[in-house]
Amino acid sequence: MDIRKWFMKQHDKGNGTASKPVKPEPSPKKPSAGILEPRKPVGQESAGRRKTSKYFDKDLKSVKEAEEVSAKRKAQKGDEDFPYDAKSPPAKKVHKIDDYDDGDDDFVASSSKKKLVDATSSKKLKSGSGRGVPQKTKDIDESDQEKDDDKDTEPPPKSGGRGRGGKSGSMAAAGGRGRGGGGRGGFLNFERKDPPHKGEKEVPEGAPDCLAGLTFVISGTLDSLEREEAEDLIKRHGGRVTGSVSKKTDYLLCDEDIEGRKSARAKELGTPFLTEDGLFDKIRASNISRTTPKKPSDKVPTAVPKKGPQKVETKRNLVLPEDQSGNSSAKSVPSKAVTSGVSTAVQRGQTTEHVSLTWTEKYRPKVPNDIIGNQSIIKQLHDWLSHWDNQFLLNKGKGKKQNDSGVKKAVLLSGTPGIGKTTSAKLVSQMLGYQTIEVNASDNRGKADTKIVNGIGGRTTNSVKELVSNESLSVGDRSKQHKTLLIMDEVDGMSAGDRGGVADLIASIKISKIPIICICNDRYSQKLKSLVNHCLLLNFRKPTKQQMAKRLLQVANAEGLQVNEIALEELAERSNGDMRMALNQLQYMSLSMTVIKYDDIRKRLLSSAKDEDISPFTAVDKLFGVNGGKLRMDERIDLSMSDPDLVPLLIQENYVNYIPSSVGKDDSGIERMNLIARAAESIADGDIINVQIRRFRQWQLSQSGSVSSCIIPAALLHGRREALEQGERNYNRFGGWLGKNSARGKNLRLLEDLHVHVLASLEFSLGRETLRLDYLSILLKQLTEPLRIFSKDEAVKKVVEFMDVYSINQEDFDTIVDLSKFKGRSNPLDGIQPAVKAALTKAYKDGSSSRIIRTADLIPLPGMRKAPKKRIAAILEPTSNELAEEAGDVESEGGEEDPSETEDLEDTVDSAKKIQRDLVSNHARGVQVQVELKGSGNSGGRKTPAGRRKGGSEAAKMAKTGQGSGTAAKRKR
Amino acid sequence: MLWVDKYRPKTLDKALVHEDVAQNLKKLVTEQDCPHLLFYGPPGSGKKTLIMALLRQIFGPAADKVKVENKAWKIDAGTRTIDVELTTLSSTHHVELNPSDAGFQDRYVVQEIIKEMARNRPIDMKGRKGFKVLVLNEVDKLSKEAQHSLRRTMEKYSASCRLILCSNSSSKVTDAVRSRCLNVRINAPTEEQIAKVLEFIAKKEGLQVPPGFYDRVAAKSNRSLRRAILLFETCRVQQYPFTNNQVIPPMDWEEYISEIASDIMSEQSPKRLFQVRGKLYELLSNCIPPEIVLKRLLSDLLRKLDAELKHEVCHWAAYYEHRMVLGQKAIFHLEAFVAKFMSIYKAFLLATFG
Repeated sequence: MDIRKWFMKQHDKGNGTASKPVKPEPSPKKPSAGILEPRKPVGQESAGRRKTSKYFDKDLKSVKEAEEVSAKRKAQKGDEDFPYDAKSPPAKKVHKIDDYDDGDDDFVASSSKKKLVDATSSKKLKSGSGRGVPQKTKDIDESDQEKDDDKDTEPPPKSGGRGRGGKSGSMAAAGGRGRGGGGRGGFLNFERKDPPHKGEKEVPEGAPDCLAGLTFVISGTLDSLEREEAEDLIKRHGGRVTGSVSKKTDYLLCDEDIEGRKSARAKELGTPFLTEDGLFDKIRASNISRTTPKKPSDKVPTAVPKKGPQKVETKRNLVLPEDQSGNSSAKSVPSKAVTSGVSTAVQRGQTTEHVSLTWTEKYRPKVPNDIIGNQSIIKQLHDWLSHWDNQFLLNKGKGKKQNDSGVKKAVLLSGTPGIGKTTSAKLVSQMLGYQTIEVNASDNRGKADTKIVNGIGGRTTNSVKELVSNESLSVGDRSKQHKTLLIMDEVDGMSAGDRGGVADLIASIKISKIPIICICNDRYSQKLKSLVNHCLLLNFRKPTKQQMAKRLLQVANAEGLQVNEIALEELAERSNGDMRMALNQLQYMSLSMTVIKYDDIRKRLLSSAKDEDISPFTAVDKLFGVNGGKLRMDERIDLSMSDPDLVPLLIQENYVNYIPSSVGKDDSGIERMNLIARAAESIADGDIINVQIRRFRQWQLSQSGSVSSCIIPAALLHGRREALEQGERNYNRFGGWLGKNSARGKNLRLLEDLHVHVLASLEFSLGRETLRLDYLSILLKQLTEPLRIFSKDEAVKKVVEFMDVYSINQEDFDTIVDLSKFKGRSNPLDGIQPAVKAALTKAYKDGSSSRIIRTADLIPLPGMRKAPKKRIAAILEPTSNELAEEAGDVESEGGEEDPSETEDLEDTVDSAKKIQRDLVSNHARGVQVQVELKGSGNSGGRKTPAGRRKGGSEAAKMAKTGQGSGTAAKRKR
Repeated sequence: MLWVDKYRPKTLDKALVHEDVAQNLKKLVTEQDCPHLLFYGPPGSGKKTLIMALLRQIFGPAADKVKVENKAWKIDAGTRTIDVELTTLSSTHHVELNPSDAGFQDRYVVQEIIKEMARNRPIDMKGRKGFKVLVLNEVDKLSKEAQHSLRRTMEKYSASCRLILCSNSSSKVTDAVRSRCLNVRINAPTEEQIAKVLEFIAKKEGLQVPPGFYDRVAAKSNRSLRRAILLFETCRVQQYPFTNNQVIPPMDWEEYISEIASDIMSEQSPKRLFQVRGKLYELLSNCIPPEIVLKRLLSDLLRKLDAELKHEVCHWAAYYEHRMVLGQKAIFHLEAFVAKFMSIYKAFLLATFG
């Protein structure tokens, strides 16, 4: 019953979109001339053939079954428990529903198609012949009639892919594993010399596919073309460019033998060298014999549908009726429809009918194997899911400990958008016979109405949950075959509206009786931090562009687009691994053209490529590049604005490295020096403007800011880069300012600590700057010189005494040493024996027991998120007091101040003290140290450790100190 | 304890230099009400010593009961709240703080914190002056906005509060603030005065000092008494008994800047500029204030420079120092100065020697 509901829902969706196209027959729009001819007959033929095909289906069926079983076995290896037949009942149901939905017999046939059948059929095709592509084209007629289910129209991608591969050998071979486009510079692009005759030669136009099947590797500087131009040229003519030389490489394109790795390898492999002129000749040659080479290239798409399809088509059709009969032993996947999946736009008009379905829906993979890339992840997911029941339901008797043993109850799929996370989750669960319940960001997932979650827990309140809870109850009952699975899509999107969502999800994972698959884009999102611990993490990677191109090619063929693989690879690369985006782009382009060439894709995506993030390094490279002077102003502003904070820093860091190309002969370097001076001033201007922008919020100045901090320096100095230091790589360095500034900040903080300590000694009342400029040298001398001169004990004694006078502690000692270190000069601690240093540390530590108050540094205060930046210290005063006190001090030294301990101290400290100090910790506000010279002998020096763990005890403490002395009440809030 | 602290005069009467100023100050606070005061003078001339002595003169030993405090202030500035952390030194009668520590938010410190401190009258009035004192250090580093906010505070709460401002240069204090204060210029002590103080210390310490040694230390001290005493003591730590030709060690950072200066003079090239940048960074990250670096660098350069160029170089130094104050990333301006200098000097060398 519930399943029925579930499916109805799905079909509603399908119908909603698909119903429209069903009625109007193929739109009267005239198909474009080139494609029309070959197609029409095919369509007709197939219609006839379909009938005939039915006769054959029995024979095929047996074969199929055998195959499918074996295939399945393989796939499910290690999962014996999994009953095959279990899948059939749902299948039956599905049929029913389908019937109910739609009386069309054809539809039933298609929708009842099992996934397994699908898989095998595709396999069949593979083995049978390499004609998957055309076969798809054929089936369009069927799909036209069966369009009710959106998924029906999808082709079995695998078959297509393989088929194609078999057909056009060279392409497939090239499309194999090779890593193309490695030449693309990217982040650390080092400067390649300009082509010596840049732009002087006329670039030939050749026949579009004259280089088809050839693989090139470009090495060194070419004569007239920039590297990228050459790459373009080759790709435009159907060639392939890869990054490194391999056996498959046909030519190494280079004009000079630069003795690099590529040329060495090419020689080793015997790859022929080709000069740029040679390449041009090749292309021109194709032009002369234009008529001849053109034919084959045209033929490829057209001829294929003509030839191959018949057989395939028949086979395919054979399958159908058999499924219709509903006795298939394989499990059924309702939405699967292999046959119709092979939809092809035989006629242009027919394609338009499909437009209402986006291609991304239409060509959604139907079996896990269809998913591009990430097969191992899918396997893992499959394994996890197939073991789930055993792990969490069957073993119940053994006790719950099982759950802790590393096996997670839920899984978290992560990866960039458009690479098939949701799809694989659905497919895998379908394959294993789970019913999926998908909850995504469009559903309210807040804690307030965590219906799903409650449902899992077994409570009932609403319809979705009712469904779930029913299912979840039935899960326990092993006799029932429906198993449910919850897909929580877009879990990282749980936000304001979904309060407590993640926490609740975790709770539900803990109690869940059904598997839960969570899907997110960014696994490292803060929101998911807690969730991650409860899930098996599976990270989807981007498919390679070859993988994507293959699949895109199937789609293109199915839709009757003429695209070559190179172009699709480009598309794949530009869309950055996002299959969905690539498909959308392709669909969009298909609206206006039927033949898509490399250039079209390039043109189209160049504009969108602009949106992609440009790294500050690339921006700086471009600005300072030899061609930097040719950029338009708006381009320069765009570049410098790509990161308005970082680009100026990079510019500032690197501008001295450039040899300005605007200066001609400059032996003395004076011209360059002048330009550098101007650039430096301009950069400084930029800094001043930046202050105006940030401090006074004059954001309208931001363009002037980037002009003076980036564009002017770049305009003055753009040119070749030289390395200034030996061994330095000739790449732009990262801006040093950030690091140096934070080092400075840290040192300032340390200096401030030292300053406060010294101030607290009351011997010193000057500013921090004075301390640094005037005092530091002598402090260092006083602290280190004795260690060199005197004998160990004496030296240590002297130094510790000195430290005590100025209440310098050991960190301060380090600070003083650090601040006196200058690069290229000797370390102030040189010449001091390690033994002496150790002795000093020990002596100081020993001595610390006799100091009343120790520093309160670095002890986090309650109520403050981080330790206060500036911390206050305390004062040291050697005392000759009781042991009890010393014990207390040692205690506090350890960092774990014990309030009771210190309170005791208050009583024990005797009253004869001349100086009373209060070190009061002030909750939430920081720490304050109070020092008083007590004229009138008050009772008791008292100490209270400043660092407090607990706010509560702190308040108590404050009360204590308050009552102890009147002056302590001077504490400020 | 360092001599410089040990022999710091505690009262106005004991002042070793600026005795006249000390006497005047004493009269000022004993005979009549004390106005706002602005002490200015080069570092090491004794401003702070005088201020501390003055406070003791006004408040007696209570001024010594000081507590050091580091507090985070939350200031409500219209739409947002600003967190400022300040270290203050305070007794019952005075508060000392360094508002420029708050960086560009110093305005809020002046507007809120100082105003609040100034507004509160001391409770205990008997036998005491009816005011409290706020000592503000480094007033010259306050931004213009902060100084403007200061002047109203000075007038409005003058009944209960006196400000003692302390700065190195009066030119960076706005006229408005200056005219509200009694300006006290503290000159840098002459070398003879310094030598006298050193002699005094040596006598107290019982040291044998060769003749002329005081003068050498004083000459090295740049007329900063503090520097002189510290140098003197450094020498003492390094080598005692003193010898006549004993090297007086320069400050570490000064030595480093001199090194940079000779780097610049010896070669003017992008490469050298790059190296100099590294060294400047080193200085800055060791907390040497950029103005000091620039100033010191200029004086080192001038020492070796042809007279013809001195004027121009000084001009540019001033130009870039000004811009450094306007800007935020000091290194940019320092580097711009070095680049400018290199370009000028290189042109000069080429013109002179071909």
